[in-house]
Amino acid sequence: MTHPTAGQPRPRLRELKFLAVGAGTGLVSWFVLAGLILSVAPVVTLPLLPRTARAARRLAAFERRRTGEFLGTPIAPPQPLDGDDIGAVLTSPDMRRDVSWLTLQATLGTLAGLVAVSAPAGVVQNVVIAALWPYLPEVTTTLNHPVESWGDATLALATAAAYGTVGALLIPTLARWYARISAVRLAPRRISLAERLAEVTATRAAALEAHGTELRRIERNLHDGTQNRLVAVVMHLGMVERALHRDPESALPMVLTAQNAATDALSELREVVRSIYPPVLIDRGLPGAVSALVSHCAIPATYEARDLPRAPAAVEAAAYFVVAEALTNAVKHSGARQITVVLHADDGLLTVEVTDDGQGGADETLGTGLLGIERRVAAFDGTTLLHSPLGGPTVLRAAIPLGV
Amino acid sequence: MRIVIAEDDALLRAGLTHLLRAEGMEVTSAVDNPTDLLAAIAADRPDVAVVDVRMPPTFRDEGLRAAVEARRRQPGLAVLVLSAHVEDSYATELLADGAGGVGYLLKERVGKVADFLEALERVAGGGTAMDPEVVAQLLVRRRSDDPLLSLTPREREVLALMAEGHSNATIAGLLVVSDGAVHKHIGNIFSKLGLPTTDGRHRRVLAVLAYLKA
Repeated sequence: MTHPTAGQPRPRLRELKFLAVGAGTGLVSWFVLAGLILSVAPVVTLPLLPRTARAARRLAAFERRRTGEFLGTPIAPPQPLDGDDIGAVLTSPDMRRDVSWLTLQATLGTLAGLVAVSAPAGVVQNVVIAALWPYLPEVTTTLNHPVESWGDATLALATAAAYGTVGALLIPTLARWYARISAVRLAPRRISLAERLAEVTATRAAALEAHGTELRRIERNLHDGTQNRLVAVVMHLGMVERALHRDPESALPMVLTAQNAATDALSELREVVRSIYPPVLIDRGLPGAVSALVSHCAIPATYEARDLPRAPAAVEAAAYFVVAEALTNAVKHSGARQITVVLHADDGLLTVEVTDDGQGGADETLGTGLLGIERRVAAFDGTTLLHSPLGGPTVLRAAIPLGV
Repeated sequence: MRIVIAEDDALLRAGLTHLLRAEGMEVTSAVDNPTDLLAAIAADRPDVAVVDVRMPPTFRDEGLRAAVEARRRQPGLAVLVLSAHVEDSYATELLADGAGGVGYLLKERVGKVADFLEALERVAGGGTAMDPEVVAQLLVRRRSDDPLLSLTPREREVLALMAEGHSNATIAGLLVVSDGAVHKHIGNIFSKLGLPTTDGRHRRVLAVLAYLKA
């Protein structure tokens, strides 16, 4: 027997609770099963299936969490349901698994729960009968033995003790046994090697595609930006050369144009280097690099990073770029007084959210900055969402798959 | 000389327009996309169109394709294509119709204004102006039994300059030799490569380019 420790429910109470709540889940399972059958059987009700399937998922998720906690090892959730595609839901192997678990919970789960609850119920009932028999006419113990004397009352107490003993011995074993068979059905099905291979192939293709997009982006920046600026330098110097022979006075504006173009070329080159891999990321990692960005922002900005795992260098660079570009945009166009930057990771997505309290009305068709963000994020199979009603606030949210 | 410019980079478009006007040329239109280029050529009837390879909407080879299309619609239209990088296959596409009046230069060649103007005039006059980089690409991709290997170093130099579109006199000036010496080298080159001798400078250059890209 384990000794109860402070702050933790006594083991048997914990096991009793697990089974008792399971009985409740079991009863709900009957309704969900009925709902599933009613969604499928009459065919015309099929559009309801995704909703009932999601209800089944929620119930299973509740039990999965409970069972995982009870066993001390969390149970991994299955793949989420894909939208409202009825065919996909119907044929999904996860759906068959859900139905199998619901059936188990509705039957054995309910039964185990009721058995478990009956032990303490029997103890209480028999003790009450033993104490109050003189006032209760024609009362019997829970084992149908009439209680008409203090001797019978002693027997009732003995019966209570028997319930308690059987319960104490049975409930932990029953709870562990049921938790284990339930966990097997709640866990995601084992993925076959072929399915895993298809998954890896798809991920690899997506990664190669992302890499290609990234290379094209860099080429485009160098070709249309830096190279053109340098051509302008050379072209204007050529014009200067001609002007010096013809009319030296007229050369000055061209010299200045050449100088500006050279300066632009340098700053674009710096931009390209930064966009390939910001040097500060190497030095400080993503949280530190973004923190530096935020502290240099011309508008007061707060920054929060929640549970950030290490992400592939390219993903961190993209996230950094999104923050940098969003801050630049906000400073240039929003008129905001406060900016909030939040970075967090869940469901395999690194999410960057930049909110400002400015005038709103930002549009990805207007600013090259926003277009750059979209391109950059799309290269990693991510999504960009811009919400900027007139009058603000503006929220830019970019989600990039962590790819791990 | 009447010129239409197509270049999507605003600074380069303005710079090129300014440069050509300062040199006494007439820039009739300066546009930033292939559609406007075709319209401007039809309306202005220029002597030569100066066209950037990469233009909207997809920023690939729109300018090149517009140039080829413009020459199809208006045979004999001279086109000088400018690009930030050169690709010998692009030159091949431009030369595919067998007519002259084609130039293909790196954008930065504009900086050597005198040479650029000379190339522009050559192209407008039905000649060719191939970037040295293009010619270099054409000259390296050769097999081991290539007759080019039988050329002397000096003959190779002459061949390269000829492929770029230069006249005998210019070649002689660049190599610091006499016109007669250049003429002799060219005769040797043509017989070594088995090319028929043709009169007319432009036709001769086209024959050389056709040989090199084969």
